[in-house]
Amino acid sequence: MATYILRRTLQAIPIIIGISVVVFAIVYLAPGDPTARFRTPKVPPEQIEALIRAYGLDRPVHEQYISWASTFFQVWNPDAWGYSFLSGDPVLEKVLYRVPPTLLLMGSALLVTIVVAIPVGMLAALRQYSLTDKVITTLSTFTYAIPSFLVGAYALYFGAVLLPELTNGAIKFPSFGMESLGSRGDPLDLLWHLILPVLTLSVISIAGWSRYMRSSMLDVLHQDYVRTAKAKGLPRRAVIYQHALRNALIPIVTLIGLSIPGLIAGAAITETIFTWPGLGSLFVEAVGTRDYPVVLALTMVGGVAVIAGNLLADILYGLVDPRIRY
Amino acid sequence: MSGDPVGNDILLSVRDLRTAFDTMDGTVKAVDGVSFAIRRGETLGVVGESGCGKSVTALSILRLIERPGRIVGGSVDFGGRDLLAMSESEIRDVRGNRIAMIFQEPMTSLNPVYTCGRQIAETVQAHRSVSRAEAWEKAVEMLDLVGIPDAGRRAKQFPHQMSGGMRQRVMIAMALSTDPDLLIADEPTTALDVTIQAQIFELIARLREERRMAMLLITHDLGVIAEMADDVVVMYAGQVVEQGDVRSVMTDPHHPYTRGLLASIPRIGERRHRLEVIPGVVPNPLNLPAGCLFRRRCPYAMEICETPPHLTDLGGGRSSRCWLDAEGRAPEVTLPEAAHG
Repeated sequence: MATYILRRTLQAIPIIIGISVVVFAIVYLAPGDPTARFRTPKVPPEQIEALIRAYGLDRPVHEQYISWASTFFQVWNPDAWGYSFLSGDPVLEKVLYRVPPTLLLMGSALLVTIVVAIPVGMLAALRQYSLTDKVITTLSTFTYAIPSFLVGAYALYFGAVLLPELTNGAIKFPSFGMESLGSRGDPLDLLWHLILPVLTLSVISIAGWSRYMRSSMLDVLHQDYVRTAKAKGLPRRAVIYQHALRNALIPIVTLIGLSIPGLIAGAAITETIFTWPGLGSLFVEAVGTRDYPVVLALTMVGGVAVIAGNLLADILYGLVDPRIRY
Repeated sequence: MSGDPVGNDILLSVRDLRTAFDTMDGTVKAVDGVSFAIRRGETLGVVGESGCGKSVTALSILRLIERPGRIVGGSVDFGGRDLLAMSESEIRDVRGNRIAMIFQEPMTSLNPVYTCGRQIAETVQAHRSVSRAEAWEKAVEMLDLVGIPDAGRRAKQFPHQMSGGMRQRVMIAMALSTDPDLLIADEPTTALDVTIQAQIFELIARLREERRMAMLLITHDLGVIAEMADDVVVMYAGQVVEQGDVRSVMTDPHHPYTRGLLASIPRIGERRHRLEVIPGVVPNPLNLPAGCLFRRRCPYAMEICETPPHLTDLGGGRSSRCWLDAEGRAPEVTLPEAAHG
């Protein structure tokens, strides 16, 4: 197991280098540049020139890449990821500052998804073709087809506009940010702010995951060993929870591993809609202002998270399925 | 423990069992009015082609039929109680306890995520009030009994770490761990290679003998029936077409289908250019012919065969579902060569 993890980690190095080259190339080739927003008639061209020189944007592309990449992995250095073109803050600090809100938001959404989707999928599978199953399947197909920005907009409308109107302002969900003014650190306030964005994120993933769980469970329920378990005279509870569910969860565990990157990278659209101060909204801001160091850093974080998530999925798979050994 | 209030030696008696499957194209009568009885300690063989309803019959006895299948009618008398009329918890008490079952596919019949020992221990714990440790001990003892070497270590292994033959031994160990009165073996060796098949049958025969356990053996192989069974039931398209003790059915088959089955067994030392076959195919269960179901493949088909024949008692515990027998004249055994050629 340890050798397997070590080998996979070593294998990840060339992949990460590859990612860094591709990511850098994409950002370099993308139209627009960081000085664009200064280009107004009032700013003299010499000053733009000076900015370009100061940022090093006039140097050849390979030099730019090397100067960025050579320091990038020195994460113990606060300035390893360079400085934001926009604010001048160290990018590493800026990113780290945004990690906890994203982890909180995405982690809660993942938790809600798992807690709801697994029982819902199971229920649908155990009552295949019943009315319950049909309602669940139809609803999840319908929900899954709605884009997240629309779900977010509806959630905002219901939670922050319609509901306050209907209840005369008794219930009013906050429509932006992570905390109310002056209630920093109040967990209840934080929870209150979490509800709408978590709802937005989990509604769609519950739709997907429950369908996945349903088919996984159905697949397992038709296996010979489930029939064996019944033929042994085990109570229905034991047949379902010990013999069927345990096997049906194996692919779900992989799914959990694979959703780790999203946990770290954040949800750009939902975070932006709810102005959640996470990595996703930071990314949208950075792209909008062509803040190259931030865009590069976040894309790299996402890339590394995908690799780590895949490794984690494989490790978890080995833990839950005795047939897999590394 | 298995006191029989009736006082005869009949252990299980299936009467007019009917099981149907609802499909998009209509209802399939997979088992249509099957009756037979198994005496204590005796082996009853059920033989027939694939799809004749023999497995469905076995599954119906323990009520293991899943939707879209359903048991439509009949009764299964076991120790004075009708299994089909029992409550869920009562039938659970019979399953794996007084009637155990082993299946065709040892490769997939064991749960891949639990050790073999645990799966046997679980059966013991479901039916006996024993501690976890005692159940485990019993599991190891059973593995040893079915001839698995180094049973203590093997018990801790997962099914995928064992061969098909070993897994079927595990299934047998599991089935016998509660000392059942009846073992239902549904083609227990079909998925195994020939040398292993012989070993498994030898093992089953030995354990059955030692424990005076009755067995319902389902197979498509008349050779296995000849070797293992006392009585035989021949099934065709969901019905019993002939039954009786193995010796007399084998030497003096009455139903043309049984004759065809017997004729299609190649014999060692007999040079033949082609294997004997029964012409035609099993009728589509959604569209069964009127009258005798075997009529279209039967070399003796007559006009009267368009009326469904009933099971005729031939005496000596034998019966046949054929108009030839009903008319009271057993056909002279002259036709096979000409009819099948």
